[in-house]
Amino acid sequence: MPAITANGARFHVQQLEPPAASGAPRLSEPDIPTVVFVHGLVTDNLSSFYYTLAGPVVSAGARGVLYDLRGHGKSERTPRGYTTVGGADDLVALLDALGITEPVYLVGNSYGGLVAARTAVSAPDRVAGLVLVEANCAGSGATAWLENMLNTLTVAALSLEYEETGQRLKAAGQRKMARMAMAADSLLNGTSIIDDLSAERPLDSSELSRIECPVLGVYGEESELVGGAQDLVKYVPDCRVEIMPGLAHTVLREATEPLRDLILNWIPSPSLSPVGASAGVAA
Amino acid sequence: MSAVFDEVVKIVTEVVGEDFLLDEQITPETSFNEDLGLESIEFVELSEKLQEFYGERVSLVEFIAGKDLDGMMAITVGELVTYIESQLASV
Repeated sequence: MPAITANGARFHVQQLEPPAASGAPRLSEPDIPTVVFVHGLVTDNLSSFYYTLAGPVVSAGARGVLYDLRGHGKSERTPRGYTTVGGADDLVALLDALGITEPVYLVGNSYGGLVAARTAVSAPDRVAGLVLVEANCAGSGATAWLENMLNTLTVAALSLEYEETGQRLKAAGQRKMARMAMAADSLLNGTSIIDDLSAERPLDSSELSRIECPVLGVYGEESELVGGAQDLVKYVPDCRVEIMPGLAHTVLREATEPLRDLILNWIPSPSLSPVGASAGVAA
Repeated sequence: MSAVFDEVVKIVTEVVGEDFLLDEQITPETSFNEDLGLESIEFVELSEKLQEFYGERVSLVEFIAGKDLDGMMAITVGELVTYIESQLASV
């Protein structure tokens, strides 16, 4: 698997070239937008984007970069370095290592949206646009979300360790579940991720107001995170929010096509093929 | 069995690991999710290895693009072989 060392860790990275550029990558060509996909926490990895948005976005003419966050998927599980600030540093270091100097579009799902938003604040010259899918970055909603994640993961860590879930699943021949449980056990109990998450704080209003690039926030109508849309609209200078009717947190998986259309129509690039009207409802 | 089937079995074995496959005979009916317990990130690895061997024409991303999640999870080795053979036949 393609591995890139950046910021002290080995990252699994998949780069997808748009059809016209296949076989002859034109990395410096400014009119082909680069879209970087940032996945969610613990059991997630780049495959959740690889098999949903990445293919269609690249087919439409963008260059796609997918990577497994530190400790996730096939990337190195280092003992430390799991804050969103560290995640933003990882992302910028990866772009450097890949030779991508032009500003990129970041698409972050769930916790990946926090990393992406943090990157837009810490490295504004590297980010052309920010798509937050089901990610609450600021305000009391974000604090509650972080606490909720922390509680869930702390309970999961204890149960994985003391009930030896991975070994039991393996003995039962449940290969996939066993591997997921063992990887989660190793990440939650073998690294600083839970401590880092407990020290995490949402972006504050001044940080949100400093995000210069356009932001597209996409939320499920039934999601507990939908309230976060208000903070984006209130503080981010150039922001658009779309609410997906009838959906909760699983927007990426359950509304892949409308999400794809929203993103492709939102990125202002002449090299992207236009697509039909989106199914989202403006908020 | 076809040459493509043999190659797919070889590549799948590399991805899944021989230790797990000791008791599992891969047939065209073997499903990636149910029978082999392939993780989604391993699907990416499988996709990459198939492309390395067969070239750009064989794209797992394209193959599963028309399927929903349930359809994707139910893919069998035989279906993948059929797809690869059809891609290799079209010039």
